[in-house]
Amino acid sequence: MDALRLMLELFLMPLVAFVIGLAMVLLMRRIGARLQRRVGPPLLQPLWDIIKLHGKETQTSHGLIHEIGIVMAIGGFVAAVTLIPVPGMNGLAEQGGLIALIYMMMIPSLGLALGVGQCANPNGSIGISRALTAMLAYDIPMVIVVFGIAFFFGSTNLVQIVEAQQAGGIATWGLVEMPLLAIAGLFAMQAMLGKQPFEIYIAPAEIATGPMVEMGGKFLGGLFIMQCFQLYTAGALYTLLFLGGGENWLTFLIKVFGVVAIPMTIAFLFPRYRTEDVVRLVWKWPAMIGLLGIAFLMY
Amino acid sequence: MTEVTKTPAAGDALPVKTGKRTNPLANVFDELVRFAQSRSLFMLHYCTGCGAIELPPAMTSRFDMERLGIQPMVSPRQADILLVTGYVSVKTLKRVILTYEQMNSPKYVIGICSCTVNGGMYWQSYATAKKLNDYMPVDIYIAGCMPRPEAVIAGLRGLIEDIRRGTADTWKDYYRRYDHYLGNQQRLFGEDWQTPTDVIAEARHYGLFGPGTLGERTALLERHQKPLEALEMKLDIPELMARRSGLGSKGRTEVK
Ligand code: SF4
Repeated sequence: MDALRLMLELFLMPLVAFVIGLAMVLLMRRIGARLQRRVGPPLLQPLWDIIKLHGKETQTSHGLIHEIGIVMAIGGFVAAVTLIPVPGMNGLAEQGGLIALIYMMMIPSLGLALGVGQCANPNGSIGISRALTAMLAYDIPMVIVVFGIAFFFGSTNLVQIVEAQQAGGIATWGLVEMPLLAIAGLFAMQAMLGKQPFEIYIAPAEIATGPMVEMGGKFLGGLFIMQCFQLYTAGALYTLLFLGGGENWLTFLIKVFGVVAIPMTIAFLFPRYRTEDVVRLVWKWPAMIGLLGIAFLMY
Repeated sequence: MTEVTKTPAAGDALPVKTGKRTNPLANVFDELVRFAQSRSLFMLHYCTGCGAIELPPAMTSRFDMERLGIQPMVSPRQADILLVTGYVSVKTLKRVILTYEQMNSPKYVIGICSCTVNGGMYWQSYATAKKLNDYMPVDIYIAGCMPRPEAVIAGLRGLIEDIRRGTADTWKDYYRRYDHYLGNQQRLFGEDWQTPTDVIAEARHYGLFGPGTLGERTALLERHQKPLEALEMKLDIPELMARRSGLGSKGRTEVK
């Protein structure tokens, strides 16, 4: 019975994540539209985009690794969302833990790097080198934040972390207990989502959207799906670490969407930094704030 | 490389049947895909002429194309619509054709401005191509010098309607009558004109081989075609090479 339930959860969790991710893409585009005084795309626009891209008649593939890269990019996130406990479903969260989750979240970038590498397009190569540089940049504050969390709760088990936070209402939320780490985490999340001002690898006017330059049809569709998962993963992870997860689906969704809306709102107000500036900025401020936060926790 | 086999005659059966499929579920699926295609259009605006100036207003807050599901994309691989906005000089036309051939079908071409329709005020110019649809199939023309954003949006709505009905399939024409289009291209660019995209092989692969795919112009192409080769990887920076060879012998050289 348990095995059956686990199978069901492993199937349902990515599905739920995908649907929420679609809504988040819509949210992102609507926020952008509102900030620019536009109407924005209709309700099902993200879904139409994905269906259309998979329905293209010509699918220009550049070889086997190109296709496997995309599968890896999506697969990494699918694996990641099964490690994120949501209300009513724990999936593999008990067995996986925070470290495995962070590890899984790096796989998509590597998969993308593999896939783009085979396209042999210079813009793509520049884009992916920037993406990996950005990953190097945001992983430092991220690891600091994760370390702080694990130190504070004495566990890397996400289920336990959530339970500990839910024990005393808002007063025991990570956000209240570790405000500095929460700020650093938000900063790192902005870079992780690749949003302005850290949008170095998806630079449309500069390197023709970088890694996506040779992607058409189902490959781009795959990346759109990956983006849905990426938004969900980032939002849900932050909610679990700092906002006490969700007692039920309603509060969970409110928190997750609220979290994702913050970087989106910031994003559309900023232009883009250069690569070296991103690294300098991210290694300086969020890393320093994070270290300060850990220092407060320890003493 | 293409091999020229026998030219299919006019009456020959096409490898892929067109029209409604017999399975009702397949029809529903087709309908869904067509609807999604009509509601999500990525456009590549190849801003060749002055008409491009009317696109920013059509995209930004006042007219907002995104509410129709239309958004700009930057590389031909991702795009559905190729917007040619204004006069195309002969040199530009080469790039437009390269771009068009790299796009993934179904692909649509929109000619904005009178200049793409008949040459417009550049009618007497020796350096501009007059009719865009001589060189590639065009789905919709939006005439005017230059058309206002309302007209652009109206034209795009027309295209959306065509796609939803499934009648916007001029891109197939490029494969079916490649000989005709190639002939016009050769007339402008000379008979050794070739593109990196193997259109004939694509036509064969997608079952869009028509009676006009092969002909005397494609035979000409075949004669002149040079095989595409990967570029040789080499660094040709004299200073760097000097430093490199210096490194080998002395370990370190001074660079002025
Ligand atoms: S039709 Fe007029 S506005 Fe358009 S490209 Fe020609 S001259 Fe320019």
